[in-house]
Amino acid sequence: MGNIENSIREVAEKLLSEKKVDLIIGYEQGTLPLRTTPCFVDKAEDVKKLVWNPSCDANLSKYVLGRKGKVGVVAKGCDARLIAVCAIENQFPRENVVIIGIPCLGVIDRKKLEAKLGDKEILEAMVEDEQIKVKGERFELALPKKDFLCDSCLTCKHRNPPIYDVFVGEKVPENTEANEFAEVSDLEAKSPEERWKHFKEELSKCIRCYACRNVCPLCYCKMCFVDQTMPAWFGKTNDLSDTMIYHIVRTFHVAGRCVDCGACSRACPMDINLRELMKKTEKIMKERYGYEAGVSLEKVPPLGEFKMDDPQEFIK
Amino acid sequence: MKWKVIEKSELPVLIGELTKEYEVFAPVKEKGMVSFERISSGNQAYLNFRNTKKPLKEVFFPQTETLFTYKTGEKDVEVVESRAVKGERVVLGVRPCDAKSFVLLDRFFSSGEYKDVYYLEKRKNTTMVGLACNHPMSTCFCTSLGGSPFGKEGMDLLLQNINDKYLIETATEKGEELIKKFPWLKDAEKADIERAKKLSEDAEKAVKSKVSVKDISEKLDKMFDDSFWDQIYQKCLGCGICTFLCPTCYCFDILDEETEEGKRVRIWDSCQFPCFTLQGSGYNPRPSGKERMRQRIMHKFNYGVKNYGENFCVGCGRCVQECPVNLDIREVIGAINQKGG
Amino acid sequence: MQNTGKEWDPKILAFLCNWCSYAGADLAGISRMQYPPNVRVVRVPCSGRVNPYFIIKALQRGWDGVLVSGCHPGDCHYISGNLVARRRFTVLKDLLEYLGIEPGRVNFSWVSAAEGEKFAKVVTDVVKGVKALGPANRLVKR
Repeated sequence: MGNIENSIREVAEKLLSEKKVDLIIGYEQGTLPLRTTPCFVDKAEDVKKLVWNPSCDANLSKYVLGRKGKVGVVAKGCDARLIAVCAIENQFPRENVVIIGIPCLGVIDRKKLEAKLGDKEILEAMVEDEQIKVKGERFELALPKKDFLCDSCLTCKHRNPPIYDVFVGEKVPENTEANEFAEVSDLEAKSPEERWKHFKEELSKCIRCYACRNVCPLCYCKMCFVDQTMPAWFGKTNDLSDTMIYHIVRTFHVAGRCVDCGACSRACPMDINLRELMKKTEKIMKERYGYEAGVSLEKVPPLGEFKMDDPQEFIK
Repeated sequence: MKWKVIEKSELPVLIGELTKEYEVFAPVKEKGMVSFERISSGNQAYLNFRNTKKPLKEVFFPQTETLFTYKTGEKDVEVVESRAVKGERVVLGVRPCDAKSFVLLDRFFSSGEYKDVYYLEKRKNTTMVGLACNHPMSTCFCTSLGGSPFGKEGMDLLLQNINDKYLIETATEKGEELIKKFPWLKDAEKADIERAKKLSEDAEKAVKSKVSVKDISEKLDKMFDDSFWDQIYQKCLGCGICTFLCPTCYCFDILDEETEEGKRVRIWDSCQFPCFTLQGSGYNPRPSGKERMRQRIMHKFNYGVKNYGENFCVGCGRCVQECPVNLDIREVIGAINQKGG
Repeated sequence: MQNTGKEWDPKILAFLCNWCSYAGADLAGISRMQYPPNVRVVRVPCSGRVNPYFIIKALQRGWDGVLVSGCHPGDCHYISGNLVARRRFTVLKDLLEYLGIEPGRVNFSWVSAAEGEKFAKVVTDVVKGVKALGPANRLVKR
């Protein structure tokens, strides 16, 4: 970890002082234990703020959108893939972004930790090798890191960014074994009634804060469908029907573009498992069209093209 | 008659009796999350929590509230007001920060020529029974904003956890009226009151997170056009988490909806949403995150002071905990103090 | 979609593309073919015009079933409108069913201008399927 952190700083300093970029977007230490926060460095001497650790969970590709000038971005596998998707969709010229690719073995899911600790608050924490050491008022625990990684990381097949300009550190072995669609398959095996009950329960917690939308780099529309008036397609109250539709439509909008970075689920203050929905679209794209988002700069997302022999078994 | 005690084991009995006469709202734990819900039995109340995820304001100012419904007839429109406040209510287990937020919200909802009856009627019909904080969190900074873990502002009664018992302190006449309905409650002994006092002092010391809001309003007066705002907003995503989870945020939008009948509803809105100030002409005076972040900070620590006499923040720390990118309002206040001199 | 006290009869909203399916439906009518009267038709220039919002909104408004019908692939009046739509419908249908909307509520077909009989059959099948599912209540907004 320490090595990668130093290398990131070196790379950032080099890019800034050689004027290859105007800005570096990375992570810096947060104000709470096990938190980092996005960091915008435009002076070479400030690169010492940059950190790298398993709390670097924010999706920094979001901050590339809408920027003028050249930017260098510290990117995990998922982040780099999203930069690729946005580049294919012409949101910015690919040459304006220097992807600083970082091999990532997973980020910590604070919600899993909170579930384990209940009302106990973590006051100090440290990640050492494969352990998360937490300390609070009258407790001290060493927990195995692998039990508290984000679900999206447990089945990640792109620990090494597939697209990058600079690669920092050594490539790590990819997880080729994991069945990334196990959760989805489990749900598919249930009856429609059971699935409906499940999603109704999950989505009824939604408070329409739109954190899921705002944290997602793919949600870059100047006017989101939910804010549209004339016509107002769907309501903005937290009525269950409107809320479920908001999530259905947002899922449909990211279909074929989503890489399961997990940022939406992490951001949700009501702990809704949004990944369950998003992951299904990934499965549809893989099975129906053999497509994986963000691994190539040439292939267009499935909903952006068509073939004469597309599957149509359901069409009468 | 100001201090009573109740054994912890007896509290569910008291709550149970309350549910027979009042609509009782208390913290309920469901699937790991604690939130205020209407309860029907004493055992449903869960008081071993730090603080609820959502603030209590939703009990008085729901996220979605129907203001009135209307039916179009042949020649006219019939409007049916839906302000029915059914009965008297008791809210139990309010933390001092949330209770204080109502003192601030009351000022807003009753200001101006048109009082907000939807909110005010609910407030009038409600007795607030608070729960003091023995263990403030590291993100709590209520003491910096005129509050305290054992504070009684905004409460009618305050429950204080003194290990095996709860001390019940009356703070208002309304609270005394409620206590009179339970003549079986024992008077507190001197030792109980002393223990509570010690716990209160310990709790206040335990609030380690401090910010200085001294003269912050004046400092902000001079900073509206400062380049400071260009940096601060950059990582903000523009979602509504901080505003929706904030006990003192009160902005709302009004919509008309039609299914079989029409209804006018109000919903929570956030100054962080891009369409918040979007005008019919298409012009938006707050076009980017910079203006919107500036608005939030100014509203809390400058306009709030000017319009209602106090900072519109109670230091509950929810925004600090839940912000997806760890944009910490305490850091922002610190930076303002540094810049403002 | 009120139940007036009589036995419930499904109401199906059908989006028919002007050049093929609408003409096919017209042919069915001219040929005096009998098919269930439960369908209300919205004519669109092409099946590619059908926005997923229309289908979702229909379900929200209480329509018991939705049918979208267009030209056969290769025959689209606008060359590729139906091909674009086909992928959209595939994803939408899979997603809605995953969420728990009963299979059979949202239906798609290719019906050409000469296929009056097919149109009648498609509608008969769809109405039969929706009748078996009962009134729509999953995404309905009250």
